[in-house]
Amino acid sequence: MQRRHFLQTSVAALAVTGSSSAIHATTKTPAHHDITISRFKFVPDTLDVRIGDTITWLNKDIAPHTATANDDSWTTDELGKKQSQTLTITTEMSGKYYCVYHPHMKAKLIITS
Amino acid sequence: MKLKMTLLAASLIVSMTGTAKADDPSKLNDLEIAHVAYVADVIDIRYAHLALAISSNPDIHEFAKTMIRDHEAVNEQALALLGKLNAQPQDNFLSQSLQKGAEELITEMSQLRGDAFDKRYAENELAYHKAVNNLVETAFIPNIENAEVKSLFEAGLEIFKAHESHAEMMVKKVN
Repeated sequence: MQRRHFLQTSVAALAVTGSSSAIHATTKTPAHHDITISRFKFVPDTLDVRIGDTITWLNKDIAPHTATANDDSWTTDELGKKQSQTLTITTEMSGKYYCVYHPHMKAKLIITS
Repeated sequence: MKLKMTLLAASLIVSMTGTAKADDPSKLNDLEIAHVAYVADVIDIRYAHLALAISSNPDIHEFAKTMIRDHEAVNEQALALLGKLNAQPQDNFLSQSLQKGAEELITEMSQLRGDAFDKRYAENELAYHKAVNNLVETAFIPNIENAEVKSLFEAGLEIFKAHESHAEMMVKKVN
């Protein structure tokens, strides 16, 4: 019964929008991800995300850190101890990022379809 | 082996500071250790301010700003913990030795300009962090009695090891 309802919903969405991506849109709700900054590392340092998902970076170190795109297109700005920042994933956030204060701290966001 | 490393670190700091006093840093109590750490932080902040005033190298500036930001953050935590414990750090031979050495080095570095300053600053940052990290790891952490103080030193060591790696990168950049 549930499966039938799902199919009906999907077919109805397809009929309204005429595209398969609309099915994806109706069946995938944005997810939330947490990245911890601890001991001068982003954990996890590689994360698969989708456009519209949210990520919260939480700094557990005493030293202030940032999560900043290698091309500077986005940043959390400075995060002091126990401070966090949440950003919504957009297309340009795909790729590598680092901490501007400690350049050896590196990580990556992979945007999946 | 540990004792050997401790003495090596202590002798390196003593030689960096030009003092020949042969006291044993592993005999310091928690409040004396806290004083040494606070002084060591303040010294590196002073070196960083000197670098901001003299150097025109953007990499040196970024590094110096990170040293100020991080060492101030550690000292803020240290003062908060000492306040919570209602304790006062105690001056000692090693703090005095560090301060004396720092005064001499600041006088020396103040005379330098351009690449000569950048190289001296970066090389000193590497040597200084190596020596202090060795001391913290082998003489201080194993001997600290208070669990909260020990935990703060362990967190601080993580930061200063990162600084040591960063300083290594800086030395390569300016040479």
